[in-house]
Amino acid sequence: MNFKKNHIVLLLLSWSISNVAFAKLDILTCEPEWQSLAKSLGGSKVNVISATTAFQDPHHIEARPSLIVKARNADLIFCTGAQLEIGWLPLLLTKSANSRIQTNQLGYFLASDQVELIEKPAILDRSQGDVHASGNPHVHWDPYRLLKVAEAFSERLKIMDAANSEYYQQRYVEFSSRWGVSIDKWESLASALRGKKAIVYHKNWSYLLNWLGLEVIGDLEPKPGIPPTSAHLAGLLTNMSYNNPDVILVANYQNNKGAHWLSEKSGVPVLELPFTVGGSKAANSLFSLYDDTLSKLNKIR
Amino acid sequence: MKYFRLLSYLVLLLGVAVKATANPENPAVSVILDGFYKTEETALSERGRSFGLGHTELSLESAVDDRFIGRLTTVLESHDGETEVEMEEAFLNTTGIAMGLDIRAGRFLSQVGYLNSRHTHSDHFAERPAVYRALLGAHYFDDGLRINTLLPTPFFWRVGVEAFKGNQLAGGEGDDSVGVYTVNTKLGGDFSVSNSWQLGASYIKHKLKIVEDEHEDEEHGEDDHGHSHSAGYSAENLYILDAVWKWAPLGNARNRQLILLGEYIYADDLNEYATDDDSHEGWYASLVYRFHPQWGIGIRQGEVELKQAHGEHFHDQSLKETDVMVSWSHSHFSTIRLQYSRQQDVGFESVNDAVSLQYVMSIGAHGAHEF
Repeated sequence: MNFKKNHIVLLLLSWSISNVAFAKLDILTCEPEWQSLAKSLGGSKVNVISATTAFQDPHHIEARPSLIVKARNADLIFCTGAQLEIGWLPLLLTKSANSRIQTNQLGYFLASDQVELIEKPAILDRSQGDVHASGNPHVHWDPYRLLKVAEAFSERLKIMDAANSEYYQQRYVEFSSRWGVSIDKWESLASALRGKKAIVYHKNWSYLLNWLGLEVIGDLEPKPGIPPTSAHLAGLLTNMSYNNPDVILVANYQNNKGAHWLSEKSGVPVLELPFTVGGSKAANSLFSLYDDTLSKLNKIR
Repeated sequence: MKYFRLLSYLVLLLGVAVKATANPENPAVSVILDGFYKTEETALSERGRSFGLGHTELSLESAVDDRFIGRLTTVLESHDGETEVEMEEAFLNTTGIAMGLDIRAGRFLSQVGYLNSRHTHSDHFAERPAVYRALLGAHYFDDGLRINTLLPTPFFWRVGVEAFKGNQLAGGEGDDSVGVYTVNTKLGGDFSVSNSWQLGASYIKHKLKIVEDEHEDEEHGEDDHGHSHSAGYSAENLYILDAVWKWAPLGNARNRQLILLGEYIYADDLNEYATDDDSHEGWYASLVYRFHPQWGIGIRQGEVELKQAHGEHFHDQSLKETDVMVSWSHSHFSTIRLQYSRQQDVGFESVNDAVSLQYVMSIGAHGAHEF
């Protein structure tokens, strides 16, 4: 009897070990840009799903039942951090009751922890709008920071799935060399953009515009997190007569009514850019997201 | 004693207000300011006529260590010139122990129904529906223990049990060491990227000690703003069904969102004199549409039929309520709401149609809301 019991236990044990050895790492990313990156770096050894799409504002997501189930099943959660997901990620972690992805675990990875952030507010005060205390979280729009995030994430994959660490190293080397070549291409494509002036909807393009040398001369939001008001738009319009912006930038998920009103009154064109992977037809990976965005920006005259 | 409590509360408030962001030394601090003006008294209401304050809430939350989080919520309410401090939540919760288990202990809001576990500041209407005010004291919280488990199904399916002391429900103060048990289950998922749903069923077992003084409450017919969170009508068994459906174009709730919500509550075994025919019953359904990041409109219809205990017999009471509201949120942290409520009754005293103007302001950390 005992012998039989031991047999069953052994059988179960070997089954579960083999399961671990051959199972793919289940990764849940908070945003599609990290889904694309995790797929590039994890290749065939990982399953990656994203909690949000390019058409959803990542600041305002609900920890709905389907997301709780996705979080429960994940071995690793890969998010932006810097309070971008503060309205839903903490609740998602608690409700998932998944010990692997809690904040102190290997299965919890934040892009914003890997790089320096810009636009850290000197004064933290809600009268300044819904500002992120740790700085601007939208780091995927700086290709150099993105590469740092990629390197750190690849290291994390190697630790979590040591059996495949060589595979992950090889994937990272491929990604980083291709990304490096692309950076050169994008920078030469964008050389004419340096010094152009832009009005943005929200401070979500700061990394991109800093990198390309565009100047931000106004925000459609009067304060971060507060939708454009007619008084604020009228103020922007008055200023436009002497600071001559070249373009108004909105992300594909943002309400573009204010931008179009301003464009009609001033003649300055609106450019709707995919904010992340999946935000336009062409943008189906990080590479094509940058390609598509730069070709659109190059239409600025 | 009361002044000491108030004083220590203020010291706490000042102490934590100095720093506002959560880190190991500073828990996340949030303050909710809720005030209103209401034109008339209404039945079963905690909010009186004229100017008044609703739930003024101070809440601290933080990770205790890598296994526990803790939360403390105190509520300040003032009634007839007296300020009361009440502890509404003081609990620990585990974070990610094995097998989808989730354990909470201390004082907390019971997870029965849809609205009950939520803080009133996240509601879409100025007051809870009549059926909640009558049978759950607007929101039922108590000292106890909760164990939840997330079942390993491809869709969301949570099962939970709670045990409470039981003093906060009507007819409390029983002899049993555990006065209230609840069983609750929730199912949920997405129909599509734009549509999400959740269904819930709950059962509350209240081990009633038959409260002898029930007949002394001659004037109890209307819950005279005496601010007690105890439910006004007792019952040994409560059954709750709840359903919610949310729609947002492409799942982007930032710009537009539609929420359809409904609950049904049935209660029986009211006391030792009750026959099988004596029961409380009620429901509500609400439709709220946020058509702009800052603007929302909503309508709620509800009804409750009650048996008011009167010695060895019962008096029939019923209340129908219709609420219409429009709300404006300048930012995510501020809401101003205008609401019109219409009441029709049998057996209540101050039944009126009323207009309320309410604000709900949130200072400091703003915790995530449940689906």
